[in-house]
Amino acid sequence: MRFQFSPDQQDLIQASHEMLLAETPITRLRALSQGAASTDISEQLAEMGLPSLLLPETQGGLAQDFVVMTAIAESAGYVNLPEDLVEQAGLVLPQLVELQQETVLQEALAGKAKVGLIADARPYLEARAYDYFIAGDQLIPSAEISCVPVKTIDPLRALVKPAVAAITPAALAEKGAILAAAQLLGLARRMVDLAVDYAKEREQFGQKIGQFQAVKHLLASVYTQIEFTRPLVCLAAVTGGAHVHNAKISAIDTAMLAGETAIQIFGGMGYTFEVDLHLFMKRAWALCGAWGDRSFHTQKLETLIFDGTMEIGPGVSFRQGEG
Amino acid sequence: MLLSKPVVPQNSKIKMDIRYTPDQEQFRAEVRAWLHANAPRERLPSLDTAEGFALHRQWEKKLHAGNWGTVNWPVEYGGRGCDLIQWLIFEEEYYRADAPLRVSQNGIFLLAPTIMEYGSAEQKQRYLPPMASGDEIWAQAWSEPQAGSDLAAIKSKAVRDGDSYVISGHKIWSSRAVFADWSFGLFRTEQDSQRHKGLSKILVPLDSPGLEIRPIAQLDGDPGFAELFFDEVRVPVANLLGPEHGGWGVAMATAGFERGLLLRSPARFQAAAQRLVALFKAYQDQLSSGVRELVLQAWRDTERFNAATYALVARVQSGVSVSSEASANKIFWSEMDKHMHRTAMSIMGAQAELEDGLDAIENGRWLDGYMFSLAGTIYAGTNEIQRNILAERVLGLPR
Repeated sequence: MRFQFSPDQQDLIQASHEMLLAETPITRLRALSQGAASTDISEQLAEMGLPSLLLPETQGGLAQDFVVMTAIAESAGYVNLPEDLVEQAGLVLPQLVELQQETVLQEALAGKAKVGLIADARPYLEARAYDYFIAGDQLIPSAEISCVPVKTIDPLRALVKPAVAAITPAALAEKGAILAAAQLLGLARRMVDLAVDYAKEREQFGQKIGQFQAVKHLLASVYTQIEFTRPLVCLAAVTGGAHVHNAKISAIDTAMLAGETAIQIFGGMGYTFEVDLHLFMKRAWALCGAWGDRSFHTQKLETLIFDGTMEIGPGVSFRQGEG
Repeated sequence: MLLSKPVVPQNSKIKMDIRYTPDQEQFRAEVRAWLHANAPRERLPSLDTAEGFALHRQWEKKLHAGNWGTVNWPVEYGGRGCDLIQWLIFEEEYYRADAPLRVSQNGIFLLAPTIMEYGSAEQKQRYLPPMASGDEIWAQAWSEPQAGSDLAAIKSKAVRDGDSYVISGHKIWSSRAVFADWSFGLFRTEQDSQRHKGLSKILVPLDSPGLEIRPIAQLDGDPGFAELFFDEVRVPVANLLGPEHGGWGVAMATAGFERGLLLRSPARFQAAAQRLVALFKAYQDQLSSGVRELVLQAWRDTERFNAATYALVARVQSGVSVSSEASANKIFWSEMDKHMHRTAMSIMGAQAELEDGLDAIENGRWLDGYMFSLAGTIYAGTNEIQRNILAERVLGLPR
């Protein structure tokens, strides 16, 4: 029993976090949100080996456990990474291995092909120049599936709705929910940090507003929710099952609270397009609804707890999903 | 401190592993078997009553006889030398068996680690064995009427007179001091000192001449805590624990343990959530759909708390000491506990107020628990103080 990343994994996670932070300063997001030409960092991500993090060594991957991806996803959320690293590395590329699409996988890793995932659990996908779609257990050339644009409030993402609905394999939907939860944690923490920075600067009544207990307590409450969601997201990544639903619900509640708290602390400025907070908040709203929304996961969990035979109580938390 | 010793070798190849080892499973089986054979079948009367206190003391003696009373203490002090994972397993089995509350908790969980860290060899020999056996039960004597959240405002003084301290002052909120044998207090030993300086931790027998103990009836009417009036109470200088005038640091070591791991393990809440689910199922035909989600949240929060505790234990075992982040722990479990019991109260409707007898559900256990949960956000440092600590020391907001 050792519920902690190994020192090697911690090093990898730390280095990735620092790279993502350095390569995606808020200025980059601001420029993109104002329609600047793409400032792609795919090369830097590939240099670090992140796209192939979960792939087997025989495919040139780092063969990391899925749980490591939750930490990378949290960092991606923290910086609001515009690239679709989390979905590609966490879901799409491993799914190509699963579907034994070795050629397409190698093309995708070399940047010669782009594969999108059509999944009913995440009905809108980012508008990119896809060559193939994964739909269910099929790999389909992109020309065969038409996509209609839908308009999101998030200025950093363009979305399309595919003309077909593909049922997401359960294992993939579970991983999608876990990675959404992990990104939400990162976004929540970033929104807290933005609000903390502002509260340290902004003065009213002759003092920094961060000196007021009313402000301190709001932020401490969000911090507490974040710290008591992260370990569950990790655990969910290892066990699957009921913890996944709990992790997603908890991450939704935490991120929504973080956004609402941060905007309250920014005051009127928080309600403007000018302050960067909205970029993080809008991404959070999207992830709350994707890969199973609050009602979806609540209903799943209610069935397990109230109608099922799942054992609950002390001593069973780490056993779920074992067999 | 017990908790800050690295016990897991830092082998970089060890991956995250959430399986219990065969040794840990064996330990769990042993605990389960012993508790199954020995834990009382019926709930004991409240430990805040004379009768209940005596019965809980008997239970402590029984636990001790089986060497299950102080599993986390080192073997040299009569414990089993359990690491923190084993301690969590012990707690899981303990609450699974619905065994009695620990009347010795202030001693064995809060004071004992402090004695082990700061005490002299004589003090360890004198105090630890009778504490472990339940022969001497300890009460805390820290708060004063004007020193609650602002603990550093302590005024009660201990004046050195030869080989003795002469203690005068007024302590309050001393849990079970009416029935207990000893107290561990924080007193001003350096006269005219200010705030955190000049305080000392001193151990005082509760039957000392000049010490008057007045019970305070708590919310449920039981004398669960007391005021202590010290009128020139004389104790030997040998009762000083840790450095003279350095009591604040010694006391904060205790506070860290209290807020942190030992006092409230996840199992206690997981067992309550399990009972809450059963309560809901028994009455669900009469309940609105909103209650279902409140019950679910209670279960969800206990699992969040459990995962976070195992993660914290892993960090502690790799050499990180518990610091300000323990404040988040205290906020989380106390608010979770209140929410969980409030939900039970709402499920029970008109029966919620019944203590026992006709129509009372589980002999008023949820009502007891709800009242106690109202104290949880106050004792061991109010949640407002904990939020200040997090905001200032973790998030870096200005004082």
